[in-house]
Amino acid sequence: MNGYLAGAKAMDYEVLMPQFSDTMERGKIVRWLKKEGDYVEKGEVIAEIEAEKAVMELQSFKRGTIKRILVSEGQEVEVGKPIAIMELGERIEKPKVEEKPKLEEKPKVEEKKPPPPPKETEKRIELPPGFASPYARLLAKEKGIDLKELQEEGRLPSPTHAKDIEEFEKERYFTPKALELLREYELSLEDLLKEFPNKKIDEDLLLAYVEQKGIPRRVPVSSVQKSLISNLSKSFVVPHYHIYEVFDLSLVPWDKEITLTHWLIKVVGDAMQFFERLRAVYREDHYLIYPNSNVGLAMAVGDELYNPVIKEVNRKSLREIAQEVRELRKRAEEGRLSLEDIRGATLTISNLGMFGIRAFDAVIPYGQVCIIAVGMQEGDGKTHMTFTFDHRVINGFHGALFVKHLKERVLDKNYIKMLKKGA
Amino acid sequence: MLYRDALNLALDYAMEHDPRVVVLGEDVGFYGGNYRVTDGLYVKYGPKRVIDTPIAENSIVGTAIGMALMGLRPVAEIMTVNFAMLAMDQFVNQMAKLRYMSGGKLFLPLVVRMPQGVAKQLASQHSQSLEHFFASVPGLYVFCASDSISAYHGLLHAIRMDDPVVFLEHTLLYGMDFPFEYVKNFDPFKARILKEGKDITVVSYLKMVHDTLKACEWLEERDGISCEVIDLTSLRPIDFETIYESVRKTHRLVVVYEAPKTLGLGAEVSARISEELFYYLDAPPLRIAGEEVPIPYNRKLELRAIPTPEKIYERILSWSKSHGL
Repeated sequence: MNGYLAGAKAMDYEVLMPQFSDTMERGKIVRWLKKEGDYVEKGEVIAEIEAEKAVMELQSFKRGTIKRILVSEGQEVEVGKPIAIMELGERIEKPKVEEKPKLEEKPKVEEKKPPPPPKETEKRIELPPGFASPYARLLAKEKGIDLKELQEEGRLPSPTHAKDIEEFEKERYFTPKALELLREYELSLEDLLKEFPNKKIDEDLLLAYVEQKGIPRRVPVSSVQKSLISNLSKSFVVPHYHIYEVFDLSLVPWDKEITLTHWLIKVVGDAMQFFERLRAVYREDHYLIYPNSNVGLAMAVGDELYNPVIKEVNRKSLREIAQEVRELRKRAEEGRLSLEDIRGATLTISNLGMFGIRAFDAVIPYGQVCIIAVGMQEGDGKTHMTFTFDHRVINGFHGALFVKHLKERVLDKNYIKMLKKGA
Repeated sequence: MLYRDALNLALDYAMEHDPRVVVLGEDVGFYGGNYRVTDGLYVKYGPKRVIDTPIAENSIVGTAIGMALMGLRPVAEIMTVNFAMLAMDQFVNQMAKLRYMSGGKLFLPLVVRMPQGVAKQLASQHSQSLEHFFASVPGLYVFCASDSISAYHGLLHAIRMDDPVVFLEHTLLYGMDFPFEYVKNFDPFKARILKEGKDITVVSYLKMVHDTLKACEWLEERDGISCEVIDLTSLRPIDFETIYESVRKTHRLVVVYEAPKTLGLGAEVSARISEELFYYLDAPPLRIAGEEVPIPYNRKLELRAIPTPEKIYERILSWSKSHGL
């Protein structure tokens, strides 16, 4: 413990969890016999503590008033941690009623951190040429390597260890590019050396070998992809349903600057203001309804899928939204998206229209309640949109009303004009 | 399940299923055991089967030997291994020899349980690790348990054996909580591989197993060194086959134990490896053990005298560096 807890004065005394036996590591408060504000004489029992199956009485070592109880009944703490704070001294006539501090959740068990690595005082042992570990000698003999000669030439250290020989073999037979491929294809060094004895193995040779043998290349799953996969699997079990509808978007005057996606974000965000269930997050026994419309946007960057959030869409203009989407894309490309950038949406828009996809449906991002899959806009402005709803939050009635509202909204000339002006 | 509860469960099970099993020792009955291992047994089985003895270790072990010879299956408790020194004649001259000297006619289904090791500031006379004393006596079996699974199954196995077993526990383990499961055909004679690895074989037992696992976790995370951790559940005989197999793979051996380094169990393990697998070794075996001092009372000095996760980590790391890993 460093110093006193917040709010404790220098006169205060911390009552610590005592160690009743040499093996006791934690103790549980069974009962407090005194409460906050009570005056305690030296030797008076203030609490009952259970440790190692026995219940023991904790006597006060000091005289004073119990100011705060830090550990409530039933909680367990480590030996030496403060369990109460006492104000030392004679009886105080009227104990001050202090604001009761929040009882801390279970005290965190401090995870031991590894010590700093030892300073480089212990250097690798160096000996004159001719020394090697028994196993390194065995390896050298197997591979026909003359240890002494190579050590004298300075190509192997003395004493030589198994790892040095392995490295030497690699450099002897493989080009650096080939070594990289070796890792990518998870090939075994031994197999290749057997396959191409006494030959320098380069990139081309290795690629030909891989193709001939049909060996797959190993591509690690990025951490972004990993979290996506785990979230997708979690969202897929959410009870959901789809609404398929064709929208007339001929009135939406999108251009290169402010694209259809930007328009849709704005229009949907405004519509969400009328449907609180679309701004909801489902918890076990309640919903959390957010006041503003936070709209996620599915965004492909390279091989990754990102799902950044445009917050408070209802308060922003089209131009601000377009600007923010560009900024988020830039951050995604640079791998700088923060947790704040991807958190808080309740609805996501995924637009594959620009690829000529007519209609599709999508999986709701985990924790959200709706995803809108936007298809290609046809010549006459007709666009397929598929809505996937979390049935636990939005039932068919709500869903249908929301879709209907949206359909009308995109045909509302005054609204569109107002947006364009406000842009 | 707490380590002490696992031991208690094993005793309870054995006593329930075999009326010949009796427990004896100082304060094991009415008080429930100094470390509460025998808690509740007195109430359940009564003073005839859970026997409080005088403070006389030599007679506790001697009595237990007599009981075993006459057909009971006693489980004696010595409060700590330090006090077992008073009973060494019974251990070495009687317990270990009777089966042999009777030409196999006498059976000694006897277990003597006792904790050892550094707890917290119990000073030098109560903190020793003396496993090598017992493990050096032919005729004895020495088991030890590092967690609840090996505590329960190891003790039960020991009670069922017809030969004398010294069952070592560790004072600090009693209050520790470990995951527990029933294991079919648990064999204490077979060392357990608690963590697989490819670079270094680390052998340990009792409490040091947990410090070793912590250190090996750091080595893997921070330095990319992968250790195979082997937990010995029997110190006599030692399951060398498992260690050989591991060292044939890793070519490196570390032994971690709490007793002073000199003439400890690590000396035996590394000597055996050097004898049997010399040409497979890529580095000299390393022993990480206690200092050559009586355990100090001062807490800081006490920790200096025995291996800790930090020390194990640093020692293995600098050893691997100086020996080309």
